[in-house]
Amino acid sequence: MSDVATLEEAVWEALAQVPDPEIPAVSVVDMGMIEAVAVTESRASVIVLPTFTGCPAIAVIESDVRDAVAAVPGIQDVEVQTTFTPPWTTARITNEGRNKLREFGLAPPTGTGPVLIDSIGLPRFAVCPFCGSKNTYNENPFGPTPCRALYYCKDCSNPFEQFKPI
Amino acid sequence: MTDPLVSMLLALADDELVLGHRHSEWTGFAPHIEEDVAFSSIAQDEIGHAAAYYSLVAKITGDDPDRLALGREKHEYRNAILCERANGDWGYTLARHWLYDHADALRLEALESSAHEELGPLVTKIRREERYHLLHADTWLKRVSQGPVEGRKRLADSIGIAFEESLGLFEPFEGEQDALSAGWIPVSSSELRQRFVRQVAEKLDALGLPTHMTSHAEEGAEFVASSSGDLIASDNGERSAPSADDGFGGRRGRRTPDFDALWEDMTSMYRTSPGARW
Ligand SMILES: [Zn+2]
Repeated sequence: MSDVATLEEAVWEALAQVPDPEIPAVSVVDMGMIEAVAVTESRASVIVLPTFTGCPAIAVIESDVRDAVAAVPGIQDVEVQTTFTPPWTTARITNEGRNKLREFGLAPPTGTGPVLIDSIGLPRFAVCPFCGSKNTYNENPFGPTPCRALYYCKDCSNPFEQFKPI
Repeated sequence: MTDPLVSMLLALADDELVLGHRHSEWTGFAPHIEEDVAFSSIAQDEIGHAAAYYSLVAKITGDDPDRLALGREKHEYRNAILCERANGDWGYTLARHWLYDHADALRLEALESSAHEELGPLVTKIRREERYHLLHADTWLKRVSQGPVEGRKRLADSIGIAFEESLGLFEPFEGEQDALSAGWIPVSSSELRQRFVRQVAEKLDALGLPTHMTSHAEEGAEFVASSSGDLIASDNGERSAPSADDGFGGRRGRRTPDFDALWEDMTSMYRTSPGARW
């Protein structure tokens, strides 16, 4: 039994090394995309939650997760399952993940969780990842990928992107 | 007969795929760069939602999601005709985007409590993304309705045209009664349609835009879909202003000439090399 617990930890460690293909500074674990890991003897099954429904990186993430887990000594067989149950939200991004996003130059999502559909409206500002200013405004609720919104910092005059709260 | 669950999911998926494709046509052509980004992103979301619905269908029928999206004949699509209309000008694009996303929001609100165990959570996910579409559409409607006369007039005219056709989104899909009994969708299309008409009237009124067509729609609560399946006559691919019943029949596979060019474009890669991978 202790062997399995150890193997399960080894799988989590391997997953912590799998980068988000679009934001390589954070791992799929930092992003809260791993819902569950189960190990039975030499067989691992991993449940992955896609960030956005239309995220084009889903297939890449699945195959990266499969490769990383298959490389764990003692694992012979890997099953990767993608599901929208439960739905991923930005509240799942870990604190470490938020720090890494900021260092990467991408403002982490504001708020503690998803905004309800009837409370429409973006946060007035996002904290500038370059200078820390809140003197910023939303220029576009959409960005170059489904998960990003565009902001502008009035203090350091940099445009920047925020990971959209959902 | 098609499984009512499959029939419901295909209507949802085809709406999202076809309108997503129309939105993507603004990529590189929108009136300004931020809107180029916005419509490209909304298109990607809608096509992603379609892919998720097609995957659910594929699980039920054993079909391939790509074949469902891109490998069907024109008459096999079940989108509302509103979704296939050419983009026209910016006024029409905004009017349709606004009407569609409000209609879709009401439908998704109902579907969140679907008896289908995978559909409910998927819809929860999709609604969180869709709120950005509503935000975008509402912002533009407000902006143009408070702007110069010409833009306001074009928007109002387009809402008049698109509104009639938007009621086609609430045409019952094949097997809807069975889907209701099974709890796949807890609210009927006709009830959703009434909610939609009320909501549109309230919102347009608040923006000072004309609402006469909505009162007409409420009076005629029983809508009649043309049964002919005929295609509308077309001159050089241009369509004339649609009359009230042109917008119906989409759920039964009636397609307009606007769909032909879209289908050719959307499916050309799939037809050229089926099974191609990126
Ligand atoms: Zn700054």
